[in-house]
Amino acid sequence: MANTETALKECLSSIDGATAVALVDYTSGMALGTLGGSKDFNLEVAAAGNTDVVRSKLRTMEHLGLKEEIEDILITLNTQYHLIRLLKGRGGSGLFLYLVLDGSRANLAMARHQLRRIEADLEV
Amino acid sequence: MTTPTGTLRTDEPASAVLGTLAEQGATGALSTETGIVYLAAGHVVHVESAVTPDLGDLLTHSGALAPDGWWEAIDQAGRRCRVGRQLVDSGHLAAGALELCHLGALFDAAYFVLAHDGPALRFRPGAAHWLGAVRSVPVETVLRESRRRRELLHRIWPEPSVDRAPLARVPGPDAADLPARRGRTLAQVDGVRTAAQIATALACRTFHTLVELRRLAAAGLVTPVAPLLPVPTSAPAPASAPAPVFAEPGPSPRPAAPDEPETALLRRLLHALEAL
Repeated sequence: MANTETALKECLSSIDGATAVALVDYTSGMALGTLGGSKDFNLEVAAAGNTDVVRSKLRTMEHLGLKEEIEDILITLNTQYHLIRLLKGRGGSGLFLYLVLDGSRANLAMARHQLRRIEADLEV
Repeated sequence: MTTPTGTLRTDEPASAVLGTLAEQGATGALSTETGIVYLAAGHVVHVESAVTPDLGDLLTHSGALAPDGWWEAIDQAGRRCRVGRQLVDSGHLAAGALELCHLGALFDAAYFVLAHDGPALRFRPGAAHWLGAVRSVPVETVLRESRRRRELLHRIWPEPSVDRAPLARVPGPDAADLPARRGRTLAQVDGVRTAAQIATALACRTFHTLVELRRLAAAGLVTPVAPLLPVPTSAPAPASAPAPVFAEPGPSPRPAAPDEPETALLRRLLHALEAL
């Protein structure tokens, strides 16, 4: 039974190649918790910016009339993966986990699997 | 000791008083007209507002927690101000889930208490909330987030009365093909309930509901019901009584002043132009 801080810590410690993680409310863009990051990588800015990514994808799905839900969004950079996982909860909790992975060390399939497990501790 | 106690000077807004209390590392409860902010060592530990569903409502209405479990925890730990701890220790709820739900309720209530920054009324030093410590947030974060939320909502539809007034559906516009959450929200609009009551019924966070309701208002599907007061008595009264709008099949969609449809149309036009 993890609280949010230990859940974030677990993301960084148990997922290979994870360098930063944030828990974000995508209706307001507020980061409820962040861990990792560095001088060159401002997680608050990343959280706010990725809120737009999530919102825009949700809006596109609305326009297309898709009744599906987003499980996760993967963004592949030259040397990094950014993984956005939406927390489901009952009635949609409106939160997502944002995970930054080092491309050379990460195992994407494992990362997705572990994120799903960590997420279970946070859902209402 | 410079901590303000008892009745405060009423000309100072709650946000300014909170800032001062945070600097002093104060512990206690600050009341305003719309709610109570609980502080511990200068950090916000809980916010209660009369108009937003509280943590218990959110947890029990969403089905995350049986009402019995909630009341049992209050019985056992309410006096010791450790209800939150009790919920987790008794296995009813994961600690992370409690924190997230609590933070949601805290920022929702803070929006209503602080966004329309009224005067602070009273500070009770040492007062603690029965929920106990779940997670504390710096005062500055709470103030900043409340401001940001007000601006976000303003950008969607600049009519703050949507937040508090009873809401009614506007007959006419086609409401089909709404996204699921917006459709669910619209289904709860009945001319009587306010945004917070709709949020409670949906077991959804109030801010999320406010966003959907402002979008519905921007789309011309929902309108705040005008208050009863400013009806001119010289006009033939019986027909203009502001009953729930959707019940009237007549041509006038709004029970308010006669020039309001034009104002609303202009606002919608402005909004659409800005969105381009």
